[in-house]
Amino acid sequence: MSPPLLPSQLFLCYFTLFVVTLFFWGPDKVRRGLWDMLMYRSPAWSSQGVPAGPKKPPSELLGLQITLLCLGAVLSRAMAAAAYELLVLGGGSGGLAGARRAAELGARVALVEPHRLGGTCVNVGCVPKKVMWNAAVHAEFIHDHPDYGFETSGVRFNWRTIKEKRDAYVRRLNEIYENNLNKARIDIIHGYGKFTADPEPTIEVNGKKYTAPHILIATGGFPSVPPDSEVPGASLGITSDGFFELEELPRRSVIVGAGYIAVEIAGILSTLGSKSSLLIRRDKVLRTFDSLISTNCTQELENTGVEVWKHSRVQAVTKSPSGLLEVTVMSSAPGHKPTMEVIRDVDCLLWAVGREPNSKDLCLDRVGVEVDARGHVVVDKFQNTSRKGVYAVGDVCGRALLTPVAIAAGRKLAIRLFGGQRDAHLDYSNIPTVVFSHPPIGTVGLTEDEAIFAHGKDNVKIYTTSFTPLYHAVTQRKVKCVMKLVCAGKEEKVVGLHMQGLGCDEMLQGFAVAIKMGATKADFDNTVAIHPTSAEELVTMR
Amino acid sequence: MGKTYSLLLLFALFDLSDHTCENVQEQPEYDLLVIGGGSGGLACAKEAAQFGRKVAVLDYVEPSPPGTKWGLGGTCVNVGCIPKKLMHQAALLGSALKDAQILSLSALFLFHSCSSSLNVRLCCFLPNRKVKYFNVKGSFSDPHTIRGLTKGGKETILTAEKIVIATGGRPKYPIHVAGALEYGITSDDLFWLKESPGKTLVVGASYISLECAGFLTGIGLDTTVMMRSIPLRGFDQQMASLVTEYMESYGTKFLKKCIPTKVEKLESNRLQVTWKNTDSGTEETDSFDTVMWAVGRAPDTKALNLETVGVKTNSETGKIIVDAREATSVPHIYAVGDITEGRPELTPTAIAAGKLLAQRLFGQSSELMDYDNVPTTVFTPLEYGCVGLSEEKAVQCYGSDNIEVYHAYYKPLEFTVAERDATQCYMKMVCLREREQRILGLHFIGPNAGEVIQGFALGIKCGATYPQLMKTIGIHPTCAEEITKLHITKRSGLDATVTGC
Repeated sequence: MSPPLLPSQLFLCYFTLFVVTLFFWGPDKVRRGLWDMLMYRSPAWSSQGVPAGPKKPPSELLGLQITLLCLGAVLSRAMAAAAYELLVLGGGSGGLAGARRAAELGARVALVEPHRLGGTCVNVGCVPKKVMWNAAVHAEFIHDHPDYGFETSGVRFNWRTIKEKRDAYVRRLNEIYENNLNKARIDIIHGYGKFTADPEPTIEVNGKKYTAPHILIATGGFPSVPPDSEVPGASLGITSDGFFELEELPRRSVIVGAGYIAVEIAGILSTLGSKSSLLIRRDKVLRTFDSLISTNCTQELENTGVEVWKHSRVQAVTKSPSGLLEVTVMSSAPGHKPTMEVIRDVDCLLWAVGREPNSKDLCLDRVGVEVDARGHVVVDKFQNTSRKGVYAVGDVCGRALLTPVAIAAGRKLAIRLFGGQRDAHLDYSNIPTVVFSHPPIGTVGLTEDEAIFAHGKDNVKIYTTSFTPLYHAVTQRKVKCVMKLVCAGKEEKVVGLHMQGLGCDEMLQGFAVAIKMGATKADFDNTVAIHPTSAEELVTMR
Repeated sequence: MGKTYSLLLLFALFDLSDHTCENVQEQPEYDLLVIGGGSGGLACAKEAAQFGRKVAVLDYVEPSPPGTKWGLGGTCVNVGCIPKKLMHQAALLGSALKDAQILSLSALFLFHSCSSSLNVRLCCFLPNRKVKYFNVKGSFSDPHTIRGLTKGGKETILTAEKIVIATGGRPKYPIHVAGALEYGITSDDLFWLKESPGKTLVVGASYISLECAGFLTGIGLDTTVMMRSIPLRGFDQQMASLVTEYMESYGTKFLKKCIPTKVEKLESNRLQVTWKNTDSGTEETDSFDTVMWAVGRAPDTKALNLETVGVKTNSETGKIIVDAREATSVPHIYAVGDITEGRPELTPTAIAAGKLLAQRLFGQSSELMDYDNVPTTVFTPLEYGCVGLSEEKAVQCYGSDNIEVYHAYYKPLEFTVAERDATQCYMKMVCLREREQRILGLHFIGPNAGEVIQGFALGIKCGATYPQLMKTIGIHPTCAEEITKLHITKRSGLDATVTGC
């Protein structure tokens, strides 16, 4: 489907045809006048006294040539105006944001998406995840109800209810995104886009070719599963994508991985009542986070009833006649003899061992877009790939796999390309992140180790606190809140903030603003607390 | 005697100013004496003790008219922030359970256990054996001497070089309403009731009134708020009306433009309240189980005998007049917290002011308390957090042409799936309009407002501008991230409803 012509472009075409007709078959005087105009002279009909125009009209052949030239020029200009200025591959957070901002700035945009709009975030990521986390938080609150004076006997949880509501909400979001694109006059091309070998970067979708001076790759990523050759039976497991398809709460879950996705899913399943084991390769989860967080989070997982199998790897997975899985796990703590154990009757084996970029099937080699060893598209700070006119944002680049990062990068790129701000780019420092564990984790800036590496041990000062939030003052279930400020230099500039506890998810954003601004410990101290909150502890640390 | 002499000598080495020629006073016993063991007083005492000073704290709670009394810790811990937040949390749990319809009202009992445990905790970390605590009611007998009376009438005389008054305030009763004092209670009593207050009338439109009415509604009680004029005076009025609007949809009843005239006890032991509706001019009446007055707070300065020493107070409010150094009209007497004139009545400001005061008195600091950009949160069913100027105040200070207001109606994810009404989930940011667009005020209504606003308060304190805020990456999916996405100005007249990412 080629883009429809705008009314003004249609008018231009018809006008050209009219002029051409006049040139050939119109009255002599008009023909000569038009010829004069073509020759950049005043037309004969406007300047009587001056001898104007050739003695005789140009030969029919010459006229034909000129006419065709004119027609071609005008039509190609009309076509060019109707052609796209930006093609976006991928209708996820980054692609949608980039496309919409470009359209706002007046560009003709088309977006290629094979599946539902919204990408990972909306369909199989942040949004449905947070809904499930909220459900789990409700389950935790129900534990506390008797302590707060409420009788709650006979509260039952129905997975199907929340799944149906969640799916309905996600579908609503899909529609909203589609409407937003339509409102912005962005064309949606349904299908899988691939680069062709044409000299100019060109995309082929369902056998049709599209091109534009600017092409944005925002195809995101997908969760990886170890190959069956490495772990026999690995493909019997699901991933986070499959988690959102579960129709029932699994009774026995095994989650493999130590990253935030593994932590979040293990927390949700366990809190909602599934007996859950988390298999990690080392002794702690979230090892790239600050040590306070990774230690505390591991502890909290165990406190909430998740069985954390440390130094463990899945050796093999088999399906028993009953249809349930048997997961063979090898645990080898340093200094101990490796042991082999089998977890039986598993109805949900979930791999959360990392994500891979959606770059393999794009035929990037045809246009010379460079990818790294893991398939991530290599970009500079302006999101330029190695091929001029081709850009990439979001998870496909493999850096800070977060929705708001992709959105911000997509918008910045659109502003740079179509908004005239040639230097617009995203600053990847101090990106705040929340992990929806139980309790939630909030973190921004450098970890203690990173700060020591960057500034030297003597120039780093650490403030920590650990307390029981007021909410738990009257509950039997006690979950502490831990916080750490990482400060650097004489002025004690706050370069990192790490916390885990009730409310830390909503707490972080404002602090991230201040840290981005370069706030110092003294600035923290000078801020009056809000009582009684947990956030006030951050401005009253000593 | 020898000890006194050496102390005197030591003292003389440092400071002779207090020794008048004709009458060599006895060396004051304490370096610092704090009257009032609430947030401000204790913070000041603790800080002074850290500098190795000899410090004493006097605390005495005059029972409320219905007879409620409590221990050390002041309003916040016993009858303020802490029990209120616990009740707020109970109410939130209650509304989360609305479908279940099994509300037990024993929630109110939880105060006793928790408040007393907090009391113990406070006592423990008070002294470090450095701060001496007297459970006496103190009053001035001369500028350096406090006469303390125990409950049994035993007298203690304490002398100190410097004295800090931090006796806070107590809820007021209306003067011209018959039966108000006799049958009504205040927030001092609400948290210590032995049983459920039942159908309750809360009179007043302050944040205390709305918070109490909010959690009473939340735990399932029939609750009515009676207000004379506007809600949350001093707060941004657009936000204030959203707060009350949500409360109405939440089930709290409102009697607007109404003034109570009398309270009578019926034979059924219920209380019959009569009021005048100033809109219609009619007199109306209804019966309640409990009537709570939340018509403001006032300090109890009379008992302190301030006139004898010449500490000036505002004759209207009764509050003590202090300068930027928290000093009263008498140089060595200071005051912090709710008792001071023109200061916010908030625990954290009292604590911060008390600490800074001790640092100035004993720590060679000159840092003053900055009362600008004090963040606060109203824990109504839908919380309201704010910092900086209200829109009205900003218009008044800078003119409406010079300010830009960014606003958004957003829908928290937790409301979406539960299909809860989010009509009042709203935020606005008041900025200067000039190029820098410095942020003057931030207002946020929604879940967890208290936790959300603290960090932004820090940013605003650091002088954050609108572009700086926009540079910060959002945290998805949270409510707080909506603040970093604010882009619709009020001036544009565009629809401020957030749609998708």
